[in-house]
Amino acid sequence: MKKVKIIAGISWAFLCLILIIILFPGLNSFSLSVSKLPFMKLNPRYTGGEIANQVISKSCTLDIRKPVFNGFLKERNSGFVQLDWHGTIPDIIKDSIDYDYDGKKDFYVLIDRKNSKTVLEPIDRKVKDVLISTPTSYGWAIRVGLIK
Amino acid sequence: MDSVLKIEGMRKSLGKSLLYTLPMFLITFMFMTGGKPNFADPVSALAMLTAFLLVNILYFLMHYTGKTDRYRAVLFIIFALSLSYTLIHNMVEVRKSMTFSQADILECRIPFCHLVIPMMILPAAFTKSIIFPGSIISGFANISSMVVLWLVATIVLGRGFCSWGCFYGGWDDGFSRIKKRPVIKKISELWKWMPFAVLIMVMLTAALSMMPTYCSWICPFKAVTEFEQVTSVESATKAGIFLSLFGGLVVVLPVMTRKRTQCSFLCPLGAINSLSNKITPFTVKIDKGSCNECFKCVEVCPLYALTPEDIKAGKVSLFCSKCGKCVDACSKKAIHYGIRGIPAGTMKNFSRNLFLFVSFLFMAIFSAGSIINTLQGLLKLIF
Ligand code: SF4
Ligand code: SF4
Ligand code: SF4
Repeated sequence: MKKVKIIAGISWAFLCLILIIILFPGLNSFSLSVSKLPFMKLNPRYTGGEIANQVISKSCTLDIRKPVFNGFLKERNSGFVQLDWHGTIPDIIKDSIDYDYDGKKDFYVLIDRKNSKTVLEPIDRKVKDVLISTPTSYGWAIRVGLIK
Repeated sequence: MDSVLKIEGMRKSLGKSLLYTLPMFLITFMFMTGGKPNFADPVSALAMLTAFLLVNILYFLMHYTGKTDRYRAVLFIIFALSLSYTLIHNMVEVRKSMTFSQADILECRIPFCHLVIPMMILPAAFTKSIIFPGSIISGFANISSMVVLWLVATIVLGRGFCSWGCFYGGWDDGFSRIKKRPVIKKISELWKWMPFAVLIMVMLTAALSMMPTYCSWICPFKAVTEFEQVTSVESATKAGIFLSLFGGLVVVLPVMTRKRTQCSFLCPLGAINSLSNKITPFTVKIDKGSCNECFKCVEVCPLYALTPEDIKAGKVSLFCSKCGKCVDACSKKAIHYGIRGIPAGTMKNFSRNLFLFVSFLFMAIFSAGSIINTLQGLLKLIF
């Protein structure tokens, strides 16, 4: 029994030695395999949610994303909707948004990019406030707080 | 005479030490140069050569002198400093500041570090998603590669990751070596269970808030990497917490106690790494037959991993990070590196050689990029 334990211990140690030797040369392919695991995708709270609708105007495009209410075990009562403007964006952005596609506008938003000022006028009672309004590498993005 | 031979046991002759260093020399050469050293840019070539010599000389000295911790710590501390330099340098070059903006969060451009892993577990299991604004596979410090590196290291080294792999541990390890004698000698042993409490707390709060709460509110190493722009009372409070915890647990207490207090009393990943000590093949063993219960090892252990009771029972606790400080301090060579299954007191040299090769190789390759990068930065300042 003692001998078996010694052989098992040494074999495990050598296996670990091999693991470390192949770890760095194989890092890219190991990482690629790990990235394909079912849980290796960013939560919508971080990505901003899937793009649900695109409004294309002359010079710029507005992406309206799916509202995000994701919680741990169940959906939360509060969440947000993310809007992204890209292309050649005017200094003042003025848009009225129907985020839930019920045919009715839910809020107006006015963004003064030069002065970093954002004004939100909720129309629907489920629209709350501006959580984030920021320049991005592609243009401008805002997150508007929602309740269910 | 017999005891002298035992004490001298870990030292090797010059020739033998060189022979043991040869595999490390060849493998690190292949990794650092890709097999073809490039001398086109003298600054990069000099930085690469310096880093290459540094790791190999340290590894040689471990064999030649028979001492482990002293040389391990040199590379471990340089790794921590150079990683912070690399991160800050990248941030300042790309974003012109050490802080990240809301756009960086929104566009998921935050570099991932292994301390996030405990908070990922429950959301990954229950929502099949990752709660971190980083990149899954592309770019610097992406989530997949950092998870792979940590997972393999923690399976192979157990909590040895905390003395041979973590690019933060070198900070409190470094500060714990500044004073010759501790000013604070006694801290309740109970505190060493604190990381498990922090682990449970951050796992639950992260799951409930769907936010990596430790990173957002607690992590002391934000002070030497990157943190959120201070734009509100909330972000100012966070910055205050990061700086106070860094000052208290990473600088002041390690200096006063000569212990790694951040790693011993706070880090939730340290708690997970401690549990993985149960599976790794490499351990630290006590040969009760040789031990004279002087408790020198207990005194020097930087992670509160040893108590007099552990010594009497002949068992090292699960908090051990295999730093080798106790091994170096024991005049009887009663405490030594071992391999699971091999009885204490036997095959000491074989176990140490194998462990040193595995753990040092991981640290040498993992740290090489940031050390070379830092050396390049320093050399550019000079030339
Ligand atoms: S306890 Fe945490 S910070 Fe310290 S070395 Fe381990 S993982 Fe790194
Ligand atoms: S230092 Fe060595 S001899 Fe002294 S208590 Fe520790 S293991 Fe025993
Ligand atoms: S028990 Fe020894 S090897 Fe383990 S952490 Fe303490 S000093 Fe380091």
